[in-house]
Amino acid sequence: MLFPTLTFGLFFLVTFCVVWVASRSNEWRKILLLLASWVFYGAWDWRFVALLILSAVLNWGAARLISDSADAVMRKRVMIAGVVGNLAILGFFKYYGFFLEQVGDVLAAAGFARDLPLVQIILPVGVSFFTFQGMSYLIDVYKRRVPAASLLDITFLMSFFPHLVAGPIVRAADLVPQLQTTPRLNRGMVASALLLIVWGLFKKAVIASELATQFVDPVFADIAGHSGIDLMLAAYGYAVQIYCDFSAYSDMAIGIAALFGYRFPRNFDQPYRAASLQEFWRRWHISLSSWLRDYLYIDALGGNRGGVWYICRNLMITMLLGGLWHGAKWTFLIWGGLHGGVLAIERLWREFRPAGWPVLPRWMGVLITFHIVVLGWIFFRAPSFGDAIAYLHGIGANGLGGFTATPLQLALILFGLAIHAAPPRLLPGIALRIRAWPAPVLGVATGVAILLIDAMRFEGVAPFIYYQF
Amino acid sequence: MSERSGSTRAEAPSPVDLASDAEDDARPALGWAAGSILVASVFLLLTNAQALNGWAAEQEPSETMVRVTGATEGWLAATERTRSAAPRAWLHGVWKRAQAARFAGPAPAEGD
Repeated sequence: MLFPTLTFGLFFLVTFCVVWVASRSNEWRKILLLLASWVFYGAWDWRFVALLILSAVLNWGAARLISDSADAVMRKRVMIAGVVGNLAILGFFKYYGFFLEQVGDVLAAAGFARDLPLVQIILPVGVSFFTFQGMSYLIDVYKRRVPAASLLDITFLMSFFPHLVAGPIVRAADLVPQLQTTPRLNRGMVASALLLIVWGLFKKAVIASELATQFVDPVFADIAGHSGIDLMLAAYGYAVQIYCDFSAYSDMAIGIAALFGYRFPRNFDQPYRAASLQEFWRRWHISLSSWLRDYLYIDALGGNRGGVWYICRNLMITMLLGGLWHGAKWTFLIWGGLHGGVLAIERLWREFRPAGWPVLPRWMGVLITFHIVVLGWIFFRAPSFGDAIAYLHGIGANGLGGFTATPLQLALILFGLAIHAAPPRLLPGIALRIRAWPAPVLGVATGVAILLIDAMRFEGVAPFIYYQF
Repeated sequence: MSERSGSTRAEAPSPVDLASDAEDDARPALGWAAGSILVASVFLLLTNAQALNGWAAEQEPSETMVRVTGATEGWLAATERTRSAAPRAWLHGVWKRAQAARFAGPAPAEGD
């Protein structure tokens, strides 16, 4: 059930009415939302609802044991067992096939070709997101950052449908306190929510879908048949597409949750206006980058303790694992390695920059950072390492003829980049104004905006890129 | 990636939290939200029956869906008669023309 479809629209309308009208108490409200979330998740595959429940029970039980135990060794053992349990779920569904493939290749190279058991494993949608939420909850309870929560609250945290399949990764400390009382809406929240939903719908259905289906996908599918300019433009196009696709999902998730009275943290903050890669990661997929920083970089690897080379090592490990989080592919690993390498170089430059050397003007930092990010996206998007290299080679070698991008596609790429130059407080500023409008005026305005988007949207809806992660 | 130890919450605030306004807090918001969503839904039902009909046509065929599709087709025809579907059709035509527009110049050679 994809957000920008009528099926989801009808599901949302029914859920909105039932939850606000029929909830007799806060507990009933959470139960109704939980049931709705399972219907939403079951629309992909009912079998995985059981996995979702199992994962929630595992994390609830482990957190209870940690919380109830006074024995430090026992607490640590249970926490490690719980984290391993989460990683086992993730590893089996996401990396088992890749692992077997690599073992097969190594055995074949060593002259021991064997028929390894090939198992076609279906990837449960959103497994990377809900297992990360479970792990962070366990670690937070172990470190006594949050108290252990009830089974209902933890199941709700991991299953709540707006963020279930593609984030943001919402932590227990962000959502569980909100679950203790019946939420109350205010007009500012509703105005922001409607604005985020409509804006997300536009970015996904118009910009991302049009660029993906009409320009970026055809260029990446036939690298040799496109000119260097086309390849360069398609790389920029993909940068715009993935931003508009993923940030659209986050915007809609935040907006939908807000209409039920819950606040999710921001997940994107105009990432392409970053003047360094460090700044980029404070603006892109904030819930994942802060998760990696807090639980992997600091808790597991020791963070900035130790010398500068130790920090560089930690940055590299964090980004390599961040790349692997996206999927079992060498191209994701290279993408993570590129980011880790550049973050390490930035750190070394800050440490060892000769005194008196001029500092880059901000606009140049933005330009350089953007192009490093685009280089990373080529590896991220390419089906294989060989394709990515062929793509980079083609930019220089394919010549300048045969420009296939249309004026509309070019305009959408420019618009997608121009979004990053807009005032950061633009959307909240508009929301502040529309919260004073009468309901019929806001309703007609929302209807007109959706009608415009529907008239412009590409036929059919492509799944969100981050559904596969 | 800078260190910030002892963290429990993602530090990015929610984008739905606007500047506090006592007047806003005092006004009932659920009815206002429900009213806005209702008006938007009715507006779309009147002006975008094509989306509803398209959705019905995509569902798995069953006796119920045959009846639903019949109803959505009838509704689409009604909105076309009353011309309430005209703005969407006009906008879609403009968008299609924008999609079809090309830069002047020779078409790319095969395999170039």
